Amino acid sequence: MTAVAITGLGSVASCGHGRGALELALRESRVDLVEIDRDRGFHLAASARHAARAAVTDLSPWLAPAASRRMSPPSRLAAAAARMALEDANLAMSPGAEDRCAVFLATGYGPSSYTERILEQVIREGPSSASPMLFTESVANAPAAQVALLERATGANVTVTQLEAGALHAVARGAQELVSGRADRVLAGAVEELSPLLHAILDRYHALVRPGRGGEVARPFDRRRSGYVAGEGAAVLVLERAADAAARGAETLANLEGWSRAFDPSAPPSGWGERPERTAAALKRRLERAGFDLGTTDLIVSGANGSRRGDRAAGLVLRSAFRGATLPPVVTPAAMLGAFCGNTLGAAVLAARGAGFGPTPGFEEIDPDLGIRPHDGSPLPLPRRVLVESTATGGAAVWLALGRPA
Amino acid sequence: MASCGRVAVTGLGAVSGFGWSAAELWSGLLSGRTAILPAARFDTRGQRTHVVSEVPSLPSSFPPDSARSRRHSRADRFAVAAARDAMAQAHLAPGTPEVGVFFGGSTAGIAGGERFLEALLSGSAGRVPLGLLAAQPLNAPGDAVARAFDLDGPVETVSSACASGSLAVGLALRSLRAGEVDCAVAGGSDALCSLTYSGFNALRAVDPEPCRPFRADRAGLSLGEGAGVLVLEPWERALERGVRPLAELLGAGASCDAHHMTAPHPQGAGAAAAIRSALEDAGLDPTAVDFVNAHGTGTPLNDLAEWHALTAVFGERASELPVTSTKGAIGHLLGSAGAIEAVATVQSLLAGLIHPTSGEGPVDPAIGVDLVLGAPREVGRDAVALSTSLAFGGANAALILAGWSDRR
Amino acid sequence: MELSTRARIKRVIIDTLGLEGMTPDMIADDAPLFGPPDAEGAGLGLDSIDALELLVVFEKDFGVSVETEEIDLEAFSCVASLEAFVRKFQRDQVPASEAPQG
Repeated sequence: MTAVAITGLGSVASCGHGRGALELALRESRVDLVEIDRDRGFHLAASARHAARAAVTDLSPWLAPAASRRMSPPSRLAAAAARMALEDANLAMSPGAEDRCAVFLATGYGPSSYTERILEQVIREGPSSASPMLFTESVANAPAAQVALLERATGANVTVTQLEAGALHAVARGAQELVSGRADRVLAGAVEELSPLLHAILDRYHALVRPGRGGEVARPFDRRRSGYVAGEGAAVLVLERAADAAARGAETLANLEGWSRAFDPSAPPSGWGERPERTAAALKRRLERAGFDLGTTDLIVSGANGSRRGDRAAGLVLRSAFRGATLPPVVTPAAMLGAFCGNTLGAAVLAARGAGFGPTPGFEEIDPDLGIRPHDGSPLPLPRRVLVESTATGGAAVWLALGRPA
Repeated sequence: MASCGRVAVTGLGAVSGFGWSAAELWSGLLSGRTAILPAARFDTRGQRTHVVSEVPSLPSSFPPDSARSRRHSRADRFAVAAARDAMAQAHLAPGTPEVGVFFGGSTAGIAGGERFLEALLSGSAGRVPLGLLAAQPLNAPGDAVARAFDLDGPVETVSSACASGSLAVGLALRSLRAGEVDCAVAGGSDALCSLTYSGFNALRAVDPEPCRPFRADRAGLSLGEGAGVLVLEPWERALERGVRPLAELLGAGASCDAHHMTAPHPQGAGAAAAIRSALEDAGLDPTAVDFVNAHGTGTPLNDLAEWHALTAVFGERASELPVTSTKGAIGHLLGSAGAIEAVATVQSLLAGLIHPTSGEGPVDPAIGVDLVLGAPREVGRDAVALSTSLAFGGANAALILAGWSDRR
Repeated sequence: MELSTRARIKRVIIDTLGLEGMTPDMIADDAPLFGPPDAEGAGLGLDSIDALELLVVFEKDFGVSVETEEIDLEAFSCVASLEAFVRKFQRDQVPASEAPQG
């Protein structure tokens, strides 16, 4: 496969913005939570109360207020992260007309607060009160469209909606676009907006960890895990063909060396499946077909986030895929940053560069069914290869293989 | 990675205002009638406009709900029904390994979410089943297909407004060519919902009468619902399996206007780029195209911009190229439009007939298009067709399909 | 009173369209609202979505009622023309003596 390089990373997350904030949070095991607004009457009394909301103080260094006045929250996050990524890649000016820049952005639920607001208008005041502005910005592809508008990205513009697997799908598709020569640059990543309503709905599905004896703490792979802490933010990568990156003297953060994707059809819409062996076999077979040897993995960046069944699915898939071999160290960025697939992606890129990971917050006791102990904070050797995994609600599963820059 | 050679369409399925089958879609389109009618089941009280293309009630011949499908939203049902037909036609058994599902949609099961929110706001959410929300996420219909037919390949849903269905077919093509899957179930599904209906009406983009693409007095789009599904596979595999290719998917292209959040680029620059990209992907010159299944929504802006895109790509030949649109008959299916239009395009190629564009009125004199009106237009069995989908937010997608020819 | 309707319209433009940092006195009655700002930076750079957004507010709060085909974007060219548009399509006329001042 034509080598694809990741040359920029833009991030807005609970820890703040930019690569530096992300690295710090991962290294120091910082968990930044805020109380969610429960005064709207959406939440049950016993519900989760906290979330890892994007710490957005001021996005104006990357997004002019005039440009953002109509943007929904996720459009703002995505636009800022995209600009941050381009600056990180030393591509601060928008690509020239001869460059074809494509956008592959993932979201699970799209602009949730604007969707809620326009629905509320329609329900309370009647359809003729629907706001044109809110509608335009409530569609799932609004963030990707805004990014393209601001960066004058006239290549393919695709919004992937596959819940937690979306970010990795977006990167794989973005890489494919480069390899085929249909784009010269790709902005690939994910964005999620956590509105109070969305938080309340996730909680009603018992997906979130609730206040209780163990505290409202996400415990990836832990025996007593009982849910995740919802995350929010935007993470955007700049992808280029490695040869192009080298030609312009760009710094490569990591190389994308392969990917594989599968689905477990035994998964119910809001859960995970019962066939981890089949899923693992499919993922492994497809990765090997792409020329990648799973045995060269030194580090796994897992999307596991404390979900009772989600972590079980992820853990069993990993166990099955690495059967007969010792599982490499596993880090779970969601423990620090909240559950948002863009964070997993950002953390994986940093991991490929040798970023340090502190002890996994919340982890206390191994789950005997899984036998996975997420990283304890000891120094990690610089990995040759990092496997990023996401086992999504509903059945989709995606792996990306990242290699360290040469 | 192994090259997969030519990609064949081996199965079709569709659910539309004309009925729950691709055959009903085709006979409806061929007749020139419209399925855009005064709303019968969908509640349009308080809306500015009241004509829609609604999928009729489920035929009694359909299998009863299983425990799994009881929670399905309308969009899920459309998707599964269309996929069932397409897979049956392609003799693709459930559980076949290495089959991917690539889907497009814009609202999935949101109608359930609307009821949930309504109940929540009135304080009675405790009595509304949470299951209404299970079919919420945009990936639900595509996942429902993979689940219903026990498929373990990559499953991916895209939601780029009106380009979604076409983009999904394009992504399937990429995965097939890359050898990532042996076979692909590609399509889209969308159901009518208050959010979208109100939103397009708020934008004053909806015609109070059934829409009239490319006509002088066109006044907006008409909303519809339904699903379109195609089974795609390398042609050698189809031959090995003894399945006859229905058509060939030659190429896919995509672009973004990067111009405005709702209005298309007035000169159709982005659309032209997507068309050129599809042609390049197909290895074809614009002169190879024999007809166009246009996006043709019936809005004043889209149809004119699309015409400019056609002239930019085809030059003077644009006014001799037969053009048709399904939207006057089945309305705008949003996230599934591109997929159902790909189905209709394959049906045209199979029949050697371009279906007419329904609706009355003379063609806009500012648009020199050769619109197929009244009687269907004949085309050769190995004709090459362009299908375009131009989205809200500026995403554009184009597909090149051709009648199956052993000689190509 | 003409002045108060124009002042209300300016307030609506600023609040509804989220024009941060603007005050009504910064919008001249005849300044172009749409299209990019002119050479002297006097235009507001609004677009068709903003026009439709304003229309919803005019319908809700100003008693305007207008069919889609009666909408003429020329009416949205500046505050003065907007005022004329509102008066033309207002179904419930507010008596001058009861109009809010300023």
